Amino acid sequence: MRQRPNYLAGFGSLIWLFLVGLPLYVMLTATLRTQSDYSTSGPLSFPAHLTLQNYLDDFSNGFGRDFLNTIVVTVSVVAIVLLVVPPLAYAIIRSRHRTMSTVFRIFLLGLAIPAQAVIVPMFYVISKAGLYDNLVGIILPTAAFCLPICTLILTGAMRDITSELYEAMAVDGASPARVFRQLVVPLSKGGLSTIVVFSALQAWNGFLFPLVLTQSDSTKVITLGLYNFQTEHGVDVPGLLSAVMLSMLPILVVYLFARRALVRGLMGVGGK
Amino acid sequence: MTSIIQQLLAKSARREPPTTGSRGDPGGRSPGYRSTAGSAAGADRRRAVRSGVGATRPGLAWAVPATVFFTLFAIVPLVLVAVLSFTSWNGIGTPKLIGLSNWSALWHDPVMLKSLWLSALLTTLGVVVQTPISILLGVWAAGHQRNRAVLAAVYFVPLLLSVTAVSVLWRALLDPNFGIPSDAGWLFGDGNLLGTQSGSIGVLAFVGAWQWTPLHTLIYQGGARAVPQVLYDAAAIDGAGTVRQFFHITLPQLRNTVITSMVLMVVGGLTTFDTVLILTQGGPGTDTTISAYYMYQQGFLSFDFGGASAIALVLVVVATLLSLLMVRLTGYDRMQSTAEGL
Amino acid sequence: MRSPASVSRSRTSRKRFAVTAVACALVAGVTAGCGSSGGSSSSSSSGTIHILVYGDTGNTVEKQIVDTFNKTSKVKAVLDTIPGANYQTKLQTIINTAQAPDVFFNWGGGSIAPFVKSGLLMPLDSFIAADPQLKSDFLPSVFNTAVIDGKSYGVPMRGTQPVLLFDNKKVLADAGITPPATWDQLLADVQTLKAKGKTPIALGGGDQWPTLMWFEYLYDRVAGPGLFEKALGGDTSAWASADSQKALGMLKQLVDAGAFGTNYDSVKFTDGGSPALLAKGKAAFELMGSWEYATQKSANPDFTKNDLGYSNFPTIAGGAGNAADVVGNTNNFYSVLKNTKHPDAVAQFLKLMYSDEFVKAQLGIGNLPTTTNTPQFLSTAADPAYDTYQYNLVKQAPSFQLSWDQAYPPSATTAMHQAVQQFVDGKLDAAGFIKAMQGLPTS
Repeated sequence: MRQRPNYLAGFGSLIWLFLVGLPLYVMLTATLRTQSDYSTSGPLSFPAHLTLQNYLDDFSNGFGRDFLNTIVVTVSVVAIVLLVVPPLAYAIIRSRHRTMSTVFRIFLLGLAIPAQAVIVPMFYVISKAGLYDNLVGIILPTAAFCLPICTLILTGAMRDITSELYEAMAVDGASPARVFRQLVVPLSKGGLSTIVVFSALQAWNGFLFPLVLTQSDSTKVITLGLYNFQTEHGVDVPGLLSAVMLSMLPILVVYLFARRALVRGLMGVGGK
Repeated sequence: MTSIIQQLLAKSARREPPTTGSRGDPGGRSPGYRSTAGSAAGADRRRAVRSGVGATRPGLAWAVPATVFFTLFAIVPLVLVAVLSFTSWNGIGTPKLIGLSNWSALWHDPVMLKSLWLSALLTTLGVVVQTPISILLGVWAAGHQRNRAVLAAVYFVPLLLSVTAVSVLWRALLDPNFGIPSDAGWLFGDGNLLGTQSGSIGVLAFVGAWQWTPLHTLIYQGGARAVPQVLYDAAAIDGAGTVRQFFHITLPQLRNTVITSMVLMVVGGLTTFDTVLILTQGGPGTDTTISAYYMYQQGFLSFDFGGASAIALVLVVVATLLSLLMVRLTGYDRMQSTAEGL
Repeated sequence: MRSPASVSRSRTSRKRFAVTAVACALVAGVTAGCGSSGGSSSSSSSGTIHILVYGDTGNTVEKQIVDTFNKTSKVKAVLDTIPGANYQTKLQTIINTAQAPDVFFNWGGGSIAPFVKSGLLMPLDSFIAADPQLKSDFLPSVFNTAVIDGKSYGVPMRGTQPVLLFDNKKVLADAGITPPATWDQLLADVQTLKAKGKTPIALGGGDQWPTLMWFEYLYDRVAGPGLFEKALGGDTSAWASADSQKALGMLKQLVDAGAFGTNYDSVKFTDGGSPALLAKGKAAFELMGSWEYATQKSANPDFTKNDLGYSNFPTIAGGAGNAADVVGNTNNFYSVLKNTKHPDAVAQFLKLMYSDEFVKAQLGIGNLPTTTNTPQFLSTAADPAYDTYQYNLVKQAPSFQLSWDQAYPPSATTAMHQAVQQFVDGKLDAAGFIKAMQGLPTS
């Protein structure tokens, strides 16, 4: 089967290519033309003159600051996840403590909690803690809502470490900390990279928490910037779409240079 | 292939504590199983190991940071939601306990019922549209030909955009007077896509598919690559064509992947929010007011945080029930045991 | 995804409850601890007052006024902005927290009524007693919009925003028509324009509030301002009156005549869609707040200079309303929180709202302040003819009806907007619309 060309599937895949490619073409060309050119000549035409002015305008509108904020949020969320999830997953896999099953169930329950459902009290908690309109106030809940799925991904990966390996280390009289450092972490690298990809994407794309928990320009993240851009200068489609383009750029760079890792990480979200 | 979601479903379906029963982790099995297994010498060695095992096993302390953190920022708010659903609170004063008023109002609220309906409809549309496309694309992209790899890379691009970015992009592209519809009147007519219920639901379903099909394609691609080549070789010897191979080997082998992908779609569909906020704001009228958006609207636009909390709790309950239902309907526990028998 | 196994439900749930209780205690401790430190670090104690305004292009003037204030004041003003779409939501969620501002932008009327009711706002009567100009320097019809239960809660800032019927002069000339003086003339123009292949009236129905403007004017022209005041006062039978039915019938007639085309619900004002229809000559009219001028000027400067026309809403024969009545946002206001630590500084800041500098700066960006000293600066405005027209319109109007969605409390807005959209779409008939309006909370 793999050797014969499959014309039907090939044809279908071309249709999908069109559906994916056309909007991307419109977006790319729109960002390179003036606003009046876009609204007079129509989105499907090719720009009469190419210009980078839209991108420059985005930066003078504060895109750079939004970008930095988003980086701070993303790095912090990933750091928190990497700090707390591996020990938790290790404990879930190996601990014999009776409370462990309760702990695990709390995280299972977490999978069924949509972030929207708790946004009202979240606002209350964050604002009482004095973290409203503060990047920390976005980082903490975003990281918390990454935990259930990351825990599941990582426990899944850690289950593949055979008991013989644990036993071998036990014979050497290794402490749990040493087992964790020398056995568990090195052997669950695949799972770790998956949770990094997952939590980074969650933080990078997060919208609801920033929408409700921040208000100032100084704490604005990219997604909120796009939303505000649309409500403030929606008329400027080329400017808006170039901001969309810029928001994609960092992930595109990661994609180009670390395509395999990213794809494997995303596949890992579904299975491995 | 093991998937996280399936493990999870299997775990809860089999009512087993999470530390037991997974492949490759006999350490989690009951002591009775251990002592009867293996030769006497082996049992001796194992007992020796077991005595040292206590020292190598992590204590509860390892789970504390994550648990406390998660409790503070997810469980506590969840409990507060439940409490708030019995109060009247406009966000300014202090919440006032009003008993079951929010719940009885919600019970008689036609928009709530409609919103659940719309959530179900959009979720179903998501599954129905995305599943066949992503299976076909995923299986096709699983082939190792160069052209397929290149195309698969292009398909991947929507996944690089955030939901916000995708929604903003399509809002601009679908503008009836200055977007693609103005250039393609033969296809879009007057371009009143967001002014009718069918149009706006269609747009939401399409934009969802545009964004998420790449992810599910990837998942199926991974699944298809894991199908043992021997099965195809054997089928080829039997003279089975591409189509027959697809239906008799690929699809059955992908059954677990289908479940994983569908669970993701259902959870994603139920919690859709950004797309609705940016593309339709629940309109026209209340025609795309799905439950998650209705909750936001009641809370943050109409300042009825008590009523919004009741809706939020309904969302949590529905999500939990649905996942239970999916375990039952797919009979995943049964499948898991046959898989283990292999 | 599944809640704990049912076999041992009672035990695990008890345990889980215990865990939760502990966590609750923890969060209480944390929040109490953080709360005290957070409170002292934010807002007033360090000698600042926070001014919260609706974030848009008009912020340049607010920034300028804050700078002017800070030159002479020891207590420094800090300008905070929230982008337009989220403004009311954010304001209401923070107004009773430590993050509340000292002074904030609003629309008067229903937009501050809930805050007054909760005792959060400071009546400005003592400020006015100390400085009578805080009241006497503004047009009374405007100033009174922020008077609640006989007390003043807002000082006008920015400008008045009456709703006008804008047109594209070139499209009208091509069709051989002039801005309609009467409703019947408008209906006739709709037919003429349709025959020319134009959308007669651009409508940003996707935003819902532009559609509401048609209701506001029709009700005013048909029934006079009394009907709405009666309904807002709690007598919901007004919505079912014969005048109400008549206004709805006339609007329906306009919609059915194809005045707005067919795809208006996919068009928005806020993303520039409907203004672009007018500017590009695809539509002939647009009923919009006076800010349309500034919007067009930034997006389509040539069109604004040469072809943007404006007129008052047409009269309706046999209607009870005065043809000179206007509707819209009477003005924006600054209101003051009772908790402010620097009331004296706030009073000084508010004085700037009738200063010459403020009036000139607002006129410069196309806003029209309603101070008594405005006329002497009208000639310095960006477009003196436009501002003079507006100023006289507002000054001579027997009634200036505040937009319905600002007159009602914010909790009514969503339901009102939905009813408006559904009526125009034909999803609600007149009876359904009346029932929806009767169901709105009025306080």
